[in-house]
Amino acid sequence: MSRRVCLFVLVCSCAGSLHAQDIAGIAVHGFVSQGFLFSSNNNYLSMKSSDGSPQWTDAVVDISDPIAEKLLVGIQLRMYQLGQFGGSNVQVDWASGDYRVNDHFGIRAGKVKTVWGLFNDSQDVDPAFLWILLPQGSYSIDHKSFYLAHIGGDVYGEIPLGKRAGTLHYDGYAGQATVDLNDGYIKQFADIGLLFTNSLGGKTYGGDLRWETPLSGLTIGSSADVQAVDGTAPTGSIHVPPTLTPSMYAEFSRGKIYLAGEYDRIPISATVIGSSVFPFIEDGRSWFAMGSYRLSKKVQVGSYYSHYVNKAADTTQPANYSKDWVVSGRYDFNAYFYCKVEGHFLHGTALGYYTSTNPNGLAPTSKMLAAKIGFSF
Amino acid sequence: MKKTRCLILLLGSLGAWSAAKAQDVVLVANKSVQISEITDSDVRAIFTGKKTRFADGSHAVPVTLKGGATHEVFLKNHLGEGPEEFRAQWRKLVFTGQGAMPMSFASESALIEYVAATPGAVGYASRISSQDGVKSLASVK
Repeated sequence: MSRRVCLFVLVCSCAGSLHAQDIAGIAVHGFVSQGFLFSSNNNYLSMKSSDGSPQWTDAVVDISDPIAEKLLVGIQLRMYQLGQFGGSNVQVDWASGDYRVNDHFGIRAGKVKTVWGLFNDSQDVDPAFLWILLPQGSYSIDHKSFYLAHIGGDVYGEIPLGKRAGTLHYDGYAGQATVDLNDGYIKQFADIGLLFTNSLGGKTYGGDLRWETPLSGLTIGSSADVQAVDGTAPTGSIHVPPTLTPSMYAEFSRGKIYLAGEYDRIPISATVIGSSVFPFIEDGRSWFAMGSYRLSKKVQVGSYYSHYVNKAADTTQPANYSKDWVVSGRYDFNAYFYCKVEGHFLHGTALGYYTSTNPNGLAPTSKMLAAKIGFSF
Repeated sequence: MKKTRCLILLLGSLGAWSAAKAQDVVLVANKSVQISEITDSDVRAIFTGKKTRFADGSHAVPVTLKGGATHEVFLKNHLGEGPEEFRAQWRKLVFTGQGAMPMSFASESALIEYVAATPGAVGYASRISSQDGVKSLASVK
């Protein structure tokens, strides 16, 4: 805790001199954020949030260099703590070489952020969002390390459709995705007695197609991801065959207004071998609708509703759904410093809760206050 | 009385028109840039990192001001957004490894100096004079 606070104070105290650094073409950017959670019932995201918890820190440094007209190379390092997730290890968010032949075709290879839905690749870029927590049915923060990036390659580009028809943007990828040992999935497996000591993962491939429509600010798109997972623990194993996860979305951004909506389906059919062999079947359906408005240069407010339900189970049980009404506000002190505050009205317990941090069971509803302060350069 | 009100309205309209005109910005580019006009959609795409090339296929290097009235007028008139949204878009690109933030300058003179010296550079200013070493680009729909 004290180390996190020291790091935050150190970075913030350098605010006067820490502009984005650019030395002979090499650009250095970064951000640090410190969050706080307080919930009326239940402990959320493995924190003791019902007592109020500041166990939420992110520190990111990004170095990139456009070494040639068509070639950009870079790496991003992150240290984070989210409740019992993350830790003192420095992780590589992405490290890639990006060769853009022209605007119609480019190749990106290395550890590459996975483009899926509206926010998958950018879900951990806190300074870019009004929201403290994105809709958890689609972008669960405790599982983000698995979905964020893959080791492999992407091809991407745009296809102009003419003045009256807008532009198509495409991204296709293939590679390997890995569940980090400090991720929420590992904790969920540990809660049922499967203690993984080696990371698990599998092959992934997919693509995203988004249409920038002729109506200025309106984008419509769809993504599909296929992911397999295999892992072996001393006490058992898990096997998930290649599984298709589709997403459909639309966003509209003009001036001070931002509107977005997304529908995702996350079907999982896994075989878990522990003390016995049992199938794990989930048919997750999630959608959200969000809107925000900029009141002034410094103040932005917004709200969203996030809905998740596991159709493969009894949908009347709180353990099989999660519905979240959210109101958010953000204040930018200047171009570098910001703070956010967010209220959550949670119904259902399907997402974000862990047995080990809620040993006395879960209340079906909870209210939650989240706050964050951050610095970006 | 009615004539006076009409005159005041007319003068007010003229004042507003000339203020808007004075606030307009000029797109400037390095003299190596072959095109002389650029569409609004290309300006938007180049300054939001979606495109890296001009319509003739040559490499575009967008540069911006760090802030101020000229920066805000450019963003509003050409990108239809404010500095906060512009910054957020670029943060998404930078922190996902999909783009490099444009160089930004504290003053128009520094921006023009950079544009004049950098092949493919494109930026904006509130005014330019012939000796600035850059060319102006006409913005078309």
